[in-house]
Amino acid sequence: MTDATYASGASAFSFRPTRAQIRGAFGVFVVFALWQISVWIIALPPYFYPGPSEVAGAFVDLIQKGILPSYLLDSASRYMAGVSTGLCLGIAFGLLIGLSRFWSRLLGPIINFFYAIVEVAWIPLLVMWIGYGFDTILIAISYVVFFPVLYNTLTGVQTVQKVLVNAMQTLGASRMQVLTSVILPSALPNIITGFRVGAGFAFRGLIFAEMIAAGSGIGFLIFDGAATRQTDRVVVGMIVMGLLWLALDRLFLRPIERATIERWGLVRAKGESA
Amino acid sequence: MTAIREPKISINGVTLVHVNEERRQEHLAVEDLSLDIVEGEFLCVVGPSGCGKSTLISAIAGFMKPRTGGITMNGRAIEKPGADRGVVFQEYALLPWKTVLDNVAIGLKYRGIAKPERERVAREYLAMARLSDAAEKYPHELSGGMRQRVAVARTLANTPEIMMMDEPFAAVDAQTRLTLQEELLRVWDEHPITVLFITHSVEEAVFLADRVAVLTPGPGRLRELVQIDIPREARHWDTISTDTRFLKLRDHVMKLVRNPSR
Repeated sequence: MTDATYASGASAFSFRPTRAQIRGAFGVFVVFALWQISVWIIALPPYFYPGPSEVAGAFVDLIQKGILPSYLLDSASRYMAGVSTGLCLGIAFGLLIGLSRFWSRLLGPIINFFYAIVEVAWIPLLVMWIGYGFDTILIAISYVVFFPVLYNTLTGVQTVQKVLVNAMQTLGASRMQVLTSVILPSALPNIITGFRVGAGFAFRGLIFAEMIAAGSGIGFLIFDGAATRQTDRVVVGMIVMGLLWLALDRLFLRPIERATIERWGLVRAKGESA
Repeated sequence: MTAIREPKISINGVTLVHVNEERRQEHLAVEDLSLDIVEGEFLCVVGPSGCGKSTLISAIAGFMKPRTGGITMNGRAIEKPGADRGVVFQEYALLPWKTVLDNVAIGLKYRGIAKPERERVAREYLAMARLSDAAEKYPHELSGGMRQRVAVARTLANTPEIMMMDEPFAAVDAQTRLTLQEELLRVWDEHPITVLFITHSVEEAVFLADRVAVLTPGPGRLRELVQIDIPREARHWDTISTDTRFLKLRDHVMKLVRNPSR
């Protein structure tokens, strides 16, 4: 998978479709065709099994009424706020636990305990305490991002070459300078990995949280559509969800990962092996 | 040679113990060692593997405290690592994500010296190490020998009072090692500094040093201090390998290393 997708990603803006892109587009076309054919064969009422035309109609309707753009904006802002909060907290606690035996012993077991409690379990309580809306969703998403970032940061910090730290100390580096010039750069590929994993979890977490604790957003669109039997809207929500992740992954997460894992990681691996 | 030579580093009755906390084990690395490192001298410490040679550098660098005895520099007890005691590690310990130039300049950066000035100094030391062409490269693009020259340039650019080298040429091939040894003496001649050089190679020690300290196998104690009175001009591998003074001293040190009991 990786070679073909990286190749297609690299040439995405040159408008010369590669073989992989043509195949990808063909795959999408086949799915839509099968969907339409199944609608013709099964012939159920549209509210029970909507076809591509109903869904397209609902899509246009949602845009014209301004519902979809505003829901997208809500989802996106919740997502970004939640992911960045979780990222910052995850890095901070990862460094704290990774660098201090005291904090590691104090917080390690507690954090491990909470790691096992999925964020979904928190949402009913959060709704009760804080109510529906932004704050509850923000906490739920941060919670989801926090753990993979923390554990990967921890791994990164623990695998820093001791000799590099020692060398910098003999060159006069203060504790803060050791942190910024050795430990953080060494741990960066791990932090990025944690960020990517967390961003994926957070996306699912967002949709789920919006289903329970929001009055807007893509998750709410799906939930509300089902509750009001507007099945075509449910499918719009699902398709938008898929497209959103695809865009996020292709335009944001993969370029970051490529830059760090492939370049930085390579440099680091070679430097270490010598 | 200067007339007055004072001890730069004084090691007095030092015992060094490695503690493995998880296994609750202790390993005696150096026992009751007394040794002075004189200002401006090139002192080599030789001994078989496991005689605590590297541990000695850790203690002088300030990474570990002696169980007994004390280590002083300029008469003051060593508390913690500092830029006044530079170390060249066997593993080079260059930052892989920084260019050669930035690696050499990093000690000056820690001291808050502005970028143009620290880069000027770094280029000067790179030129000294004959590495000017490699300034913009990354460590992984260089050979092991070149990396170690970068590490030496980095240490010297930081102008420490003593440069400690922990088996620095152990990881390079034999041919490169000879070149690096000659290069090191050339650089040392241009930038006089107190050097403590740890090695398990008797030939390397006798070739480089003013004095060779021979340690006994673990725990390391001082076996003998050997004065190497071969003039600096004669220290070239193409001529020294047939020099009788060199051969005699080498055989003497070799005997001390191989028969540590007597």
